[in-house]
Amino acid sequence: MISTILNQYRATASVVAVLAVIILLELLGFRSAIYPSLLPAFEWIKYSTPIGVIGTTYGSIYATVEALHLISMATIGGLVLATDLRLLNVVLRDTPSETIVEGTYKVFKVALVVAVLTGIFCAAGVADKVYYMPVFWIKMGVLAAGSVFMIFFKQPLLSGVPHSEISPWSIRLLAVTSILIWFTVAATGRWIGFS
Amino acid sequence: MINELLLQFGHWMEAQEYSQMLVSGYYSYNWVEAIHVLTLMVSIGSLFVIDFRMMGWLLPNVPATTIAHRLHKPMIIGFVIMFITGALLVYAKPVETIQSLWFRIKMVLLLLAFINAWIFNARLKAAEGTWDNDPVAPKNLRSGAIISIVLWCSVVTMGRYIPYDWVDCANTSNTTILWAAGCVDQLNAL
Repeated sequence: MISTILNQYRATASVVAVLAVIILLELLGFRSAIYPSLLPAFEWIKYSTPIGVIGTTYGSIYATVEALHLISMATIGGLVLATDLRLLNVVLRDTPSETIVEGTYKVFKVALVVAVLTGIFCAAGVADKVYYMPVFWIKMGVLAAGSVFMIFFKQPLLSGVPHSEISPWSIRLLAVTSILIWFTVAATGRWIGFS
Repeated sequence: MINELLLQFGHWMEAQEYSQMLVSGYYSYNWVEAIHVLTLMVSIGSLFVIDFRMMGWLLPNVPATTIAHRLHKPMIIGFVIMFITGALLVYAKPVETIQSLWFRIKMVLLLLAFINAWIFNARLKAAEGTWDNDPVAPKNLRSGAIISIVLWCSVVTMGRYIPYDWVDCANTSNTTILWAAGCVDQLNAL
């Protein structure tokens, strides 16, 4: 019976399991134990790797990569809005939502890879600063959650099945969650600059 | 002459009570700047979806004018918020911004982007119904889309350069840069 339920609600069970592991690790003090040991790695990234050295030495290159990061985030934003506002029946109502979901995903993945690569470069140049910023760690957490959500939950749930067969509330929940996640990633990224 | 007038205008704005309030309030300035940057995702993000469709990189099986018309409204809302917050950012630091070379280049690029958008819309209207279901737009619309992508990427890049002081009035003695950036006092001192 348990295996039947688990098979039926595999995605939900996975989320619950991941959340349970995170809570358990937090209760066992895993984060507090590992956090100090990460500082040498952050200092090494800034002072000993090519990306860290280029980022700290050449301001114009750093600013240009920052701009590329913003452009890739803007592209992600446009794709997320077009897809999720369609799922919420706000825009593109005369186009099947299945077509929009399938058609935007490939470019979304490219934009996400560019955003992550340029983001690593930007963080490397100020690695010893971002290490101490809670907002940086929040951004990393939300970014990881967003990537997992998109690749393992939202896209598999919405692909290969007519959306009319999925509960409208599930679709709305997926769309709202997606918009919230990606705007939180962008907002926390902006706040790193102010911290 | 134009540089002197712009600088006078900048000093006048800087003396305004609300300008000082905006720049001295740490969170007020940051919030305006954050909104300005975040609306990029709505304005330029929607614009890129339209341009990518014209290039055939995105949703080639959806009629191009459908994408352009349906995303027009969110894109315009995004641009309006971006321009209001952008104007507030200039109002908060008028002298510094008016004498920024990057800001001036950004304004020229913005003007070019709007001329390109106007031409693009006219071409889109003229060609409506002739190619709508083709996966790639006609050549004149594709060139408009690629120019739009390049111009807006450059606008974002110039915007990102503004806080850096590489060619600030105090950091350069090149007369061409001083003139282009409107560094009136430094030019008079030469």
